[in-house]
Amino acid sequence: MNNTLLTRLNIRRFMMTGIVTAITFSGAFIAANAGESEKSAGDISRGTISWGQNCARCHEMRDPAEFRDDQWRSIVAHMRLRAGLTGQQQRDILAFLQSANNPVPKMVNVSSTKVAENNSVSAQSGKAVYDKTCIACHGTDGKGALPGVPDFTKSDGRLSKADEMLLQNITDGFQSPGSPMAMPAKGGNVNLTDGDIKAVLVYLRQSFGQ
Amino acid sequence: MVHLAGYGDATYSDSQNGNGAFSAIRYNPIFHYQYKDLLLMEVEFETQIDEAGATDFALEYGTLDVFLNDYMTLLAGKFLSPLGQFRQNGHPSWINKLPTAPVGFGHGQAAPNADIGLELRGAFPLGDNARFVNYAVYTANGPVLEIDGDEIEEIHTGGVTSNDDDELVFGGRMGFLPIPMLELGISGATGKVAGMLEPDATRDYDVYGFDFNYKWHNVRLLSEYIKQKVGASSNSAAPDSASWDAWYAQASYRFMPTKWEGVLRYGDYDSPHSSADQKQWALGVNYLFSANAMAKFAYNFNDGLDGAASDDNTFQAQLSYGF
Repeated sequence: MNNTLLTRLNIRRFMMTGIVTAITFSGAFIAANAGESEKSAGDISRGTISWGQNCARCHEMRDPAEFRDDQWRSIVAHMRLRAGLTGQQQRDILAFLQSANNPVPKMVNVSSTKVAENNSVSAQSGKAVYDKTCIACHGTDGKGALPGVPDFTKSDGRLSKADEMLLQNITDGFQSPGSPMAMPAKGGNVNLTDGDIKAVLVYLRQSFGQ
Repeated sequence: MVHLAGYGDATYSDSQNGNGAFSAIRYNPIFHYQYKDLLLMEVEFETQIDEAGATDFALEYGTLDVFLNDYMTLLAGKFLSPLGQFRQNGHPSWINKLPTAPVGFGHGQAAPNADIGLELRGAFPLGDNARFVNYAVYTANGPVLEIDGDEIEEIHTGGVTSNDDDELVFGGRMGFLPIPMLELGISGATGKVAGMLEPDATRDYDVYGFDFNYKWHNVRLLSEYIKQKVGASSNSAAPDSASWDAWYAQASYRFMPTKWEGVLRYGDYDSPHSSADQKQWALGVNYLFSANAMAKFAYNFNDGLDGAASDDNTFQAQLSYGF
């Protein structure tokens, strides 16, 4: 047996090992498939951040409202492979996009009272909401992490608007002039409550307002 | 669940010593067939009109994807080469910020396009959701050499269902995402390759490359290097070794709040044929109607062999749409 043949046999053995390994993985998956429901469900807050941090790596951000829930399901499965994401990131992003698609009942009770004067909300809880839901697009510094996202620190920027208008914009969703993409209702997180939205506005004013 | 995606574009081109013409119309539908969270079948067709008016129709890729677990997916079929970034992620016209591919990253040049075989790809987190590593490893039939006289005319990396050299190619890429919006990649492949009509004239085949992708506010930075080389073969009519290598660096800036964007790219391509070698500065201006629809205008300052087409400066205008 010459060296060439030995080399070829070794490569084939390596290849066979790879194929057997792949088949083993496939079998393990099928066996584990019954436990699919045990996988962690998609988390809207994590999904918001994963969506903001990964999709813009390669292309312009698509509007979450551009596709139906069932279309997003296939698109995000495809993008898991293209962007090199984990299954958990796939589920999180899908949860966010499907949440952003859902019409939200108008829950915020808009009053003439300024949120900063409302003792029922706190900037601390607002920070938690901001870090989970808003930070992916608006950034840690409030200046906007993506093109078209408004700079909260500008004296004549979004925070110069009245509380009533801002609460309504957060609740219903809003597209800034010139921005390629609209903010989805409640930032895409349908779980945000009336109190959460007021709290995050308090946090925005205290952290970024002039 | 069945879903249709894809992209299309129409291009006008002119060059210093050529004629201006509406030179390309392309439509690439992508079909997704999904069965639960277990299987995804992806098929992309490329349809375009050639210079004679005939319609070219090709399978860009077609894979059956089995989601094994959160960290692994097995792909079988014809897949886009996972080596580098541009060929697998950056080439669709609604994503590419210029009307053309970087020099050396087109069909039959330095960057492998696609292959037929098995691919395992996935990702795993590094502590938190923002930092992770992704990977792709594959084994496939590998490329085929086109021999013309005593020269290697081209390395065909579009994916073939034959394997005349009787050796599979093994390779992969690993991407590191240490902070959000930054990806650093390293790629490599090895195997054997032979000429289309020279199955006994096998030779070594090696690829390696690096890529970089960073987005910061309105700025996007991309860079990539790739090299393919084949060894010598005394049994071949073209016995010498050969190599193809290319790199580019690109920066784009979106002028917010307008819909205008500026792009600058430098690229360098070296091949066994001096007439194909090219250095290029590409300067582009884009108007983004939306995130997935763009008008591009680009002027390419080309430096190639005197008198060759690769030395002609060119202008392109392109409308592209991703759906």
